[in-house]
Amino acid sequence: MNSPFDTTRRRFLGNVTTGLMGVGLTQLMTREGFGSVATSRGPHFPGKAKRVLQIFCPGAASHMDLWEHKPMLEKMHGQPLPGEEDMVSFQGKNGPLMKSPWPFAPAGESGKMISTMLPNMAEHVDDIAFFHAMQSKTNTHGPGCVFVNTGHATEGFPSAGAWTSYALGSLTDNLPTYVAIPDIRGEPPNGKANWSNGFLPARHQAITMAAHQPIRNIERPSGVSMQKEKGTRELLNFLNERHAAERAAETDLRARIGAYELAAKMQMSAPEVSDFASESPHIHKLYGTDSGNELKAAYARNCLLSRRLLERGVRYVNLYCSSRASGVDGLLNWDAHKTLKADYERHCPIFDQPTAALLTDLKQLGLLEDTLVLWTSEFGRMPTRQEGTAGRDHNPDGFTLWMMGAGVKGGVSYGATDEFGRRAEDKPTTVWDYYATVMHLLGLDFKKLSFYHNGIDQRLTDVHGKVIKQVLA
Amino acid sequence: MILLEMMRFGKMTRPIFVEMLFVAALLSKGAVVTAAPVDFVKDIQPVLEKKCLSCHNPNSVKGDIDLSTAELVLDPEAELVIPGKAMASDLYLVSTPEEPGEKPYMPEEGDPLTDKEAELLQRWIDKGAEWPEGIVLREASEADKSWWAYQELPDEEAFSVVLANPDTHPIDAFIEAKLEAEGLEMNSPAERRDLIRRATYDLTGLPPTPEEVETFVASDDPKAYDKLIDRLLASPHYGERWGRHWLDVVRFGESRGYERNQIIDNLWPFRDYVIESINDDKPFDEFIREHLAGDVFGSGNPDVEIGSAFLVAGAYDDVRNQDVDQASQIRANTLDEIINATSQAFLGMTVSCARCHDHKFDPIAQTDYYQLYATFAGVRHGERVLATTKDKQEVAALTKPLTARKTELEKQERSIHAEATRRSEARKEEFEQAWHRPVVDRTGTVETFAPVEAKFVRLISEARDDNPNIASGFRIDEFEVWSSGENTENVALQSKGAKATGAARVIEDFPGAYGAHHAIDGKTGERFMSTATDLTIELAEPTRIEKVIFSSAKGESNPEHRKFIFVADYRIEVSRDGETWKEVAHGRDRKPVHDKHRNVRYRIAGLTPQDGGELASIRAELAKVSREFAALPALPSVWVGNRNADDAKGPFHLFIGGSPARKGDPVVPASLSTLSETAPTYELPVDAPESERRLELADWIASSENPLALRVLANRLWHYHFGTGIVDTPNDFGYMGGRPTHPELLDYLAIRLRENDWKLKDMHRLIMTSQVYQQASTWREKAAKVDGDSRLLWRFPPRRLSAEEIRDTILTVSGKLDKTMGGPGFRLFHFMQDNVCTYEPLDEHGPETYRRAVYHQNARASVVDLMTEFDQPDCTFSAPERAETTTPLQALTLMNHDFTMDMAEALAAGISEASHDPAGQVLEAYRILYQRAPEPEEVDKVKAAIDDLGLVSVARALLNSSELIFLD
Repeated sequence: MNSPFDTTRRRFLGNVTTGLMGVGLTQLMTREGFGSVATSRGPHFPGKAKRVLQIFCPGAASHMDLWEHKPMLEKMHGQPLPGEEDMVSFQGKNGPLMKSPWPFAPAGESGKMISTMLPNMAEHVDDIAFFHAMQSKTNTHGPGCVFVNTGHATEGFPSAGAWTSYALGSLTDNLPTYVAIPDIRGEPPNGKANWSNGFLPARHQAITMAAHQPIRNIERPSGVSMQKEKGTRELLNFLNERHAAERAAETDLRARIGAYELAAKMQMSAPEVSDFASESPHIHKLYGTDSGNELKAAYARNCLLSRRLLERGVRYVNLYCSSRASGVDGLLNWDAHKTLKADYERHCPIFDQPTAALLTDLKQLGLLEDTLVLWTSEFGRMPTRQEGTAGRDHNPDGFTLWMMGAGVKGGVSYGATDEFGRRAEDKPTTVWDYYATVMHLLGLDFKKLSFYHNGIDQRLTDVHGKVIKQVLA
Repeated sequence: MILLEMMRFGKMTRPIFVEMLFVAALLSKGAVVTAAPVDFVKDIQPVLEKKCLSCHNPNSVKGDIDLSTAELVLDPEAELVIPGKAMASDLYLVSTPEEPGEKPYMPEEGDPLTDKEAELLQRWIDKGAEWPEGIVLREASEADKSWWAYQELPDEEAFSVVLANPDTHPIDAFIEAKLEAEGLEMNSPAERRDLIRRATYDLTGLPPTPEEVETFVASDDPKAYDKLIDRLLASPHYGERWGRHWLDVVRFGESRGYERNQIIDNLWPFRDYVIESINDDKPFDEFIREHLAGDVFGSGNPDVEIGSAFLVAGAYDDVRNQDVDQASQIRANTLDEIINATSQAFLGMTVSCARCHDHKFDPIAQTDYYQLYATFAGVRHGERVLATTKDKQEVAALTKPLTARKTELEKQERSIHAEATRRSEARKEEFEQAWHRPVVDRTGTVETFAPVEAKFVRLISEARDDNPNIASGFRIDEFEVWSSGENTENVALQSKGAKATGAARVIEDFPGAYGAHHAIDGKTGERFMSTATDLTIELAEPTRIEKVIFSSAKGESNPEHRKFIFVADYRIEVSRDGETWKEVAHGRDRKPVHDKHRNVRYRIAGLTPQDGGELASIRAELAKVSREFAALPALPSVWVGNRNADDAKGPFHLFIGGSPARKGDPVVPASLSTLSETAPTYELPVDAPESERRLELADWIASSENPLALRVLANRLWHYHFGTGIVDTPNDFGYMGGRPTHPELLDYLAIRLRENDWKLKDMHRLIMTSQVYQQASTWREKAAKVDGDSRLLWRFPPRRLSAEEIRDTILTVSGKLDKTMGGPGFRLFHFMQDNVCTYEPLDEHGPETYRRAVYHQNARASVVDLMTEFDQPDCTFSAPERAETTTPLQALTLMNHDFTMDMAEALAAGISEASHDPAGQVLEAYRILYQRAPEPEEVDKVKAAIDDLGLVSVARALLNSSELIFLD
């Protein structure tokens, strides 16, 4: 039998968290669950990206109506999809092929064809690396969103942001490491599981906030004056210092005192980050915070908030544009089953200008140098119309995600679906490949970043994945 | 199939080099070639299984190569192994280095063949590559069946040396032996106050009362501590505390999870069952059997059947899917969840790792996994009536006459309707002539009328176009009202000051999503979705109007879709004052939309005045019957799941690579092969009843001859008493899990548990009466240098309270804890549903939430401030241990949430009631919160703070203090 001192690798890091690069003070304050410290955190090598902005358009934003031009759909509009004439997918039977309701047009120096519904995003195509041959494992929104956020289609796994927080820690003491910004229309499918810490320690979960929703409990209780607040904290500090002093070896008591100091700092910084008064009218106009379309204005404010958070050292921002499946699909998110044209003429204008403005702004501030921008959705849509409708059903077999910014080669289209957009054909790419690439850009070896849970050393990329070198600058 | 072109190159250079090596080997050994015959099973199979199979098996066919069977490996086309010619066989060539010292091409990961193994492989091929019939290679796991956890429990005599001294507590004997070996010793006994606090929290999750502490500290009764343990074990709060532990283990959660995440309001009886069973000291083998098959052997007895709710207490995906492959994958995921929960909770095994391939680390074959799959195949999530047979019969007896009356009344109603329809038959032509206008049009229905002055215009629905018997629920994307005269224009526009009202479907967190304003926003695409029968438009000013146009699918290419449900029969009314209305148009002279609409019109037209009277009395009578139905005692419907014989119908197969679309070998319900050498085994025929499969499994797991369940349970007990188990991964006793720090102690506890009929209370007594449990938590540098985590227990490990204990403690010291046990849980979130469900944490917690936290309705993926922040798990998976993190968010919540302020006020009120002067108040505060007297310095400081800040602010600080939530 092994000696108890045969320190298993899991236990090893429990005592030495201080020696790691890029670990902020918050990193020091944990006593992780017993038997649960990973083999290697990171960074494993110098990464190009320091922080991540992940924009998520839930509802399965259609690749062939936004990003990947399919001229064949125009040619064969109204004809059956060859070889899959009787296809039954998520919601049922499918009708004939359906062209995109809007033309595509070449954009940028690369001449990338992009939907004319995205005139502002078109200006950024030369900086974007498109992954046109993505594949998912599931055709259902909830598991799909969770899959694209956690690398697993079942609930309970840590999101990419949680892994990043775990691996790299924070860049600031004043704000959370990982922030999720839900849309004003509500949470995405599967809700908070999308930014969960899973089995990682609780502090790696995203803090939710938005321009329309401050961090919970960030304000001191109404009726407590500043003077009372100060006195209360002072008394608390006296009590906790005394208690800790008698137990000098208990690091978590010391950490707790630190946590109250950090909370106080956060309490000071958080209102400032959400106060847009210091932004110039030009910036407001650029983002569209003044739009008469209230949903667009709300999303624009969240875009602006994202930039302010990234600027101030938040490591990972998970920004949502639209929300869940409501009683009428396609109303609250990109799930255009029945009326794609009307639905996307509602969603695209909300998304296009503010997102493009955020990218422009990050670029002009030089933040794109070390900020990785991801655009994700849970899967794509069918090239056919659903029987008896003018919309498209779910398609997990081929869809588009993209990335740009730190370390990413722009103007690249990696892989493609077949001529109809039905299936990934050229260079099929998994969500694990996508995140292996993301991890690589962050200076992390996706095979090394792991955490023991449920019998194995778990990873963001499960037991799969490869870095897509073709998109690296 | 040819391996790799690049290896062809290798083929030409290799023989020379290998021969040289061979010669060199001969020379070095100075021996004649007397190579013993190679035994495939002994020499080759284990090597291939260990080094090749993980990538080249039926589940994972890397490079299109599968090495599992003779047919595949010896296939002449493949050239993997050419009998008699190792130097031409790809298998040999890729797995040996091209140049000595180089890394061979294969394996890609892991150790290459040793020289000896390479030599054996070469000889095996050269001698003809004999592969005994029927042998199929499987990837070898790291641990095999001789792994420590699977071995039989020893006899108690095995411990006779350690337990030689009858005066030493047996547990201390094991602990001290290890400590001594490392030159360590235990701390001295804990202070009495610390001990009673430790024991009380440990067994009840609540703080002791100040009086209990004072009495215990002052007592000189040598039995005081034993009596304390007895008292705590007899307390109903014991079940609440240890029940909560078990609820973590069995991933108990009260919503379905995934996209819809529907809340489950009737799983709480399972939570109560767990608490009651633990309070009753129910033997745990029985408890486990009830979890897996209580509905089988306890049929008709809800107290036993409820245990089997365990099977369906986890998350599952309930979104419907028309895609057949996806649907079977989702079903497989649901069963996987049950397999995972079962194997972890009772056996400390990660059987789910064998879903796609044999377990890489533990001796769990893929067939084992699918044997469990077959065992659980009939289980479906859902609710059903859970009642005694007697109760069911009683309710049935009451229901029967009511059902009969209802049937009779409905028959009468139908007969009147039929007669009325018959009467109309004769007038059909007349009707059809009257119904002369075109049918309503979803893309735009126009009504023109004589110009009339109106301030208000309304649409009243009389029937929907998809169902003539329902009037509400129609949709309108635009309703236009056109003015009369030359400059005719649509005046029903928000932009022109018009207002629209009408009851609409509501989304709580996105108000107005379906509101009436969509009907006058000048845009299509979004529409008003009524929940009543009217849409009213108020114009900016009284206007002469002459036309309305309304639609539900304006400009849509497929208007017939359900999304655009419209009115069929309707009327348009106008008003000047909003009180008196005048009809200006109606759709009753339009052609009916469908035959079913036509038939309803016939029926109504054929009714006589007498029919009207009769129908009215029938309906009144039916309403009365409904009320009587509602007044019957309802049998409780509980989330125990359903058992579906069709689902359970075999044959079952293993799924290659875990994919239900790729069926492999057939499997039958059977015990796990992992324990085949140390525990009894069983195998059932494929058509064994679903109930029998689960019962057999239950009996097998909870058998006293099965060493694993006992070890796992004994370890959990230890884990909860000391914060870390003897095995520090309580759900994983396999290769990837921790190794026991005190293997003999673990076995000793397992044996005692078995002797004790699997009852826990005596086990608590045994553990808590040891010195190791009663020692102080004082840290010592010297000992810490040897054993920093105190895994050898040279001190009692101090701990932070759990989320539940923190909330319960705050409520207790503030005098607000409501100790009501059982029943439906309370919520710290606001529940919203719009197809999918959303859980928003509450800012204010009312007195109905002042119960113990174990009674909180724990929905999945819901974040509830204090509870989540202090590491309450989500229970998506079994949670065998709680993390103890320290974060700024905890500080924000505990400082700023209204709950803290409410409790601070209550605490302050209690203190000031006990004492009016600040010095007395300090004493009282310390007594209530910490059950000790303050030191002079503390009195001074806190007293001054009371003077400066007032008692409430002081209470707020005290509730945030570390001393309140940390135990020595």
